[in-house]
Amino acid sequence: MPDVLQATAVGFISIVTFIATFAATPIVAKAMKARGITGIDVHKLTKNQVPEMCGLAIIIGLVVGVLACVVAFPSAIRMMTAFIGTVLIAGAIGVIDDIRPLGARSKPVLTALASIPIIALGVYVPFPEIPLVGMVRLTIVYPLLIPIAIAVTSNSINMMDVLNGAMPGTVAIIAITATGIILFKGNAQVGSLAAILFAAMLAFYCFNRFPSKVFSGDTGSLSVGAALGAFAILGRLEAVILVALIPHIMNSFYGLASVRGLRERREILQRPTRLLDNGLLEASNEKGAPVTLTRLILASGPLGEKQIVRSMTILTAVSSMLAIVTYWITVVVK
Amino acid sequence: MNRLLPLAAIEVFVWLFLLGSTFAISKGAFAISFGTATLAESVATQTARVAASGGVVLIWLLGWKKVTDSYLARTLSRKRINV
Repeated sequence: MPDVLQATAVGFISIVTFIATFAATPIVAKAMKARGITGIDVHKLTKNQVPEMCGLAIIIGLVVGVLACVVAFPSAIRMMTAFIGTVLIAGAIGVIDDIRPLGARSKPVLTALASIPIIALGVYVPFPEIPLVGMVRLTIVYPLLIPIAIAVTSNSINMMDVLNGAMPGTVAIIAITATGIILFKGNAQVGSLAAILFAAMLAFYCFNRFPSKVFSGDTGSLSVGAALGAFAILGRLEAVILVALIPHIMNSFYGLASVRGLRERREILQRPTRLLDNGLLEASNEKGAPVTLTRLILASGPLGEKQIVRSMTILTAVSSMLAIVTYWITVVVK
Repeated sequence: MNRLLPLAAIEVFVWLFLLGSTFAISKGAFAISFGTATLAESVATQTARVAASGGVVLIWLLGWKKVTDSYLARTLSRKRINV
């Protein structure tokens, strides 16, 4: 467990990140609206235009948070640099994707490049702790798995960002779970990184929750996913974060498996859900429609967007509890 | 809330399968060894271990997909009957 001073520092850094993200979001939204960078809220009957690419505010919040972390934990500057480098590269890829959509195959490849700072700065430990197994030695393979891990986390979060509040709501739960576990492990440096992600998600949720006033765009979702992957590696919580991400991985895995491989949203003609005249969403009955977590939730009957997001949040809370049990099993075996 | 129980059960199934798979990987895949004296031996050992682990993961993913597909098909057909 960290000492009182470290715990206070983590709390202070979180507040600074929350304020930075909360203040930046309306400014970014106004700028995007002025430039005509908006998207249609497709799950509403009104089809209103919402400012896109507001995930830039999350990145601003994370940069401010990391700077505060560097002040509080100067010895961990390499780790902090690797973390923010990963977030910024993924964010840059997101900006490109938001402005000129990337292909379904090029996006995962490019997001894998976001792992370069972690590998280049050598801030990983190639001995992951696996539940029921203990520590395993993967000195050669581990660096090769890092780009895959970053690509999987960033694209899984990106694929979940389809409903108002779904991305920040679910990631906030995972981030607070990870913060608790990492701080319990006594690693205040990585704990502070998880805490700033939680704070940024909480601030962004205030604007992105139903009915959304801002969209994060791929800029936000890819950088948030990369941040999750980065602190899973830095905090040696690979298995724990994998378990916490089960609903997100479920969503992307079902999607990929049902459309048989990597396909861009625009290439898939059938939709997994349809909007009813009363504003509720219903699961598609078409056989070739993609299987997504939203479609699975709606399989037993129509629901409103808010209820679907609440369901996703509950499922993430369940997976986060399983993640805590996974950590406990890992510690017991060790 | 009731509609979430089967999905939460799938989560638990996936988690248990994941734990079982890691145990199987540790006892099976990580028992593979072509030696670690030279770089070539080390690379061969770790590549074989990853390949065997990949096989276990593939079985995990297929089992996961089968459970979900059958849940979706059953729930959608039941809904059609009710309509």
